Amino acid sequence: MIRRTRTIEMLLLTITLFGGVLSGNGQSKSNDVAVVVNPAAPVSDLTLSQARRIFRGDQQYWNADLPIVLLVRNPPSRERDVILKQLYSMTEAEFKQYWIAKIFRAEATSGPKIVYSNSMAADLVKVIPGAIAFMAARDVDPGLKVVKIDGHLPGDPQYPLR
Amino acid sequence: MRPILIAFTAVVFTTAAWGRSADAPQQVSNADVQALLARIEKLEQRVAELEAKQSAASISPAAAPVQSSPKSAPSAAIAQAQQPRPAPATTTAEEMESMHTVLARAGEEYPDLKIRGFGDIDFGANSARGVNSGFQLGQFVLHFASALSPKVSYFAEVSLTATPGVYNVDLERTIIRYDWNDVAKFSFGRYHTPVNYWNTAFHHGAWLQTTIARPDMIVVGSRFIPVHFIGAQSEGSIPSGLLGAGYNLGIGNGRSLNIARAGDSGDINNNRAWLGNFYLRPPALRHFQIGGSVYHDEITLPSTTLLTDGQNFREWIASGHLIWNGETPEFYAEFANVHHRSELTGRTFDNQGGYVQIAYRLPFDAKKWKPYYRYDYLQVPGNEPTLPDFVNVRKSTLGMRYDISDFAAFKAEYRNGRGNPLPQRSNALALQTAFTF
Repeated sequence: MIRRTRTIEMLLLTITLFGGVLSGNGQSKSNDVAVVVNPAAPVSDLTLSQARRIFRGDQQYWNADLPIVLLVRNPPSRERDVILKQLYSMTEAEFKQYWIAKIFRAEATSGPKIVYSNSMAADLVKVIPGAIAFMAARDVDPGLKVVKIDGHLPGDPQYPLR
Repeated sequence: MRPILIAFTAVVFTTAAWGRSADAPQQVSNADVQALLARIEKLEQRVAELEAKQSAASISPAAAPVQSSPKSAPSAAIAQAQQPRPAPATTTAEEMESMHTVLARAGEEYPDLKIRGFGDIDFGANSARGVNSGFQLGQFVLHFASALSPKVSYFAEVSLTATPGVYNVDLERTIIRYDWNDVAKFSFGRYHTPVNYWNTAFHHGAWLQTTIARPDMIVVGSRFIPVHFIGAQSEGSIPSGLLGAGYNLGIGNGRSLNIARAGDSGDINNNRAWLGNFYLRPPALRHFQIGGSVYHDEITLPSTTLLTDGQNFREWIASGHLIWNGETPEFYAEFANVHHRSELTGRTFDNQGGYVQIAYRLPFDAKKWKPYYRYDYLQVPGNEPTLPDFVNVRKSTLGMRYDISDFAAFKAEYRNGRGNPLPQRSNALALQTAFTF
């Protein structure tokens, strides 16, 4: 069952990559990585420090009724590299070890959900009320709320996630 | 009366059934997977068709190259990306979204049990007479984490420890936790007592800790500080901006007759233990933590023990820690004062313990090497009635950790000093391979 699910995920990844190539999304657009949330999330502006706390699992609730659901791209991807460097300050191995330790310390029951493409991240953020994810700014869909980081949106010269 | 009972029962069952259906996780069945596979096949066909059209268009003289214009205004990429996509892709996008949603539900089933294991195998040799060298199986540890709902979770840690006769199985932790929000998370169960950083940072995962052994002040089976705590806790973060403050508050059974054990099956006296732990973990300093704890209990010793100070003692533990849990460097320092006062005579006893550990991940060879040093200190007065025959510790440990993979390590240590358990000074060599799986 797990193997079949993984096969499906790999097929989705392949199809998404083909789709990206065919629709011309790979053309020169911003290299910034946007942080996006479900429109129901009561946030539109985060400091870099707050974003770090959220993605490191130190803040787990938007409010008492809305748990935060972290969505993180699978490796290898440029967006993941940017987030690991800028928000986690970790290598790939340190990232895995960090979540093993966090779960072992009973601070979380699981690590972030893995998404295999920006479109998958966008789709899940739309349907999961507390979801937060990151994706290439050029792939941001209508229906997603782009969060300012330190008061800047992707494309601003001072935007920190690139 | 009976019609009322029947009506009440019907209402309860109906409500329960409605609630059950509302809360029931949406399972991903074989039928769902088959449907997804069918959709993927259709999508693959569409991709093939699109590829064929694309290649046909690219050889057409009418096809113009796509021009990319530079973005001068901020957020132009977002604005452009948020424009509605071309209509022909909508059907495919909807199908992809549908599949993503179904796949996402696979991770939202409750209970969502995850199991992880830790293990280690050790070798030890000591220069002291009468101490045999040899291999030893370390602890085999299984950790269970399960989300029962978005705000309810369960954690357990089970250890199997090789002893001369049999394997000793222990339920190290069993915790059910209800999250109100980040500020208040209420839990019940058996914990590692949060009066010591090491005790709650590494638990029984030898692979997680840099060194082979735990510090002497919190070694497994320690009488100095209570390793376990049975009861209830509230924990969470304290809104404090850049300070990153957090806390634990707990009430529980405290120590058992054997003060190395917690009162698993009930308290030994009618006086609950309580604790408070406060720490700062500024998000801007990712590796930094400073904090302190207080713990209060009443210790009752076995009545078979003849003591001039009686059987009952008030216990106050005050501890502090200063941590930099990075790799270049890593620095841990902890100290605790354990204060006991006889309820019969009023005599007081103060016991101190602590350690300082420093390590540094070397930059070469893919950062696999990590040398470390630790100094352990434990001082208990000779007439301390609650800790008889306690061997004071003065010990240096010099070691090297080599991470053979991201999830397994070799460690080698040289130890020099006295205490735990030998009273005389000795030299010791210890080797360990520790891993998680």
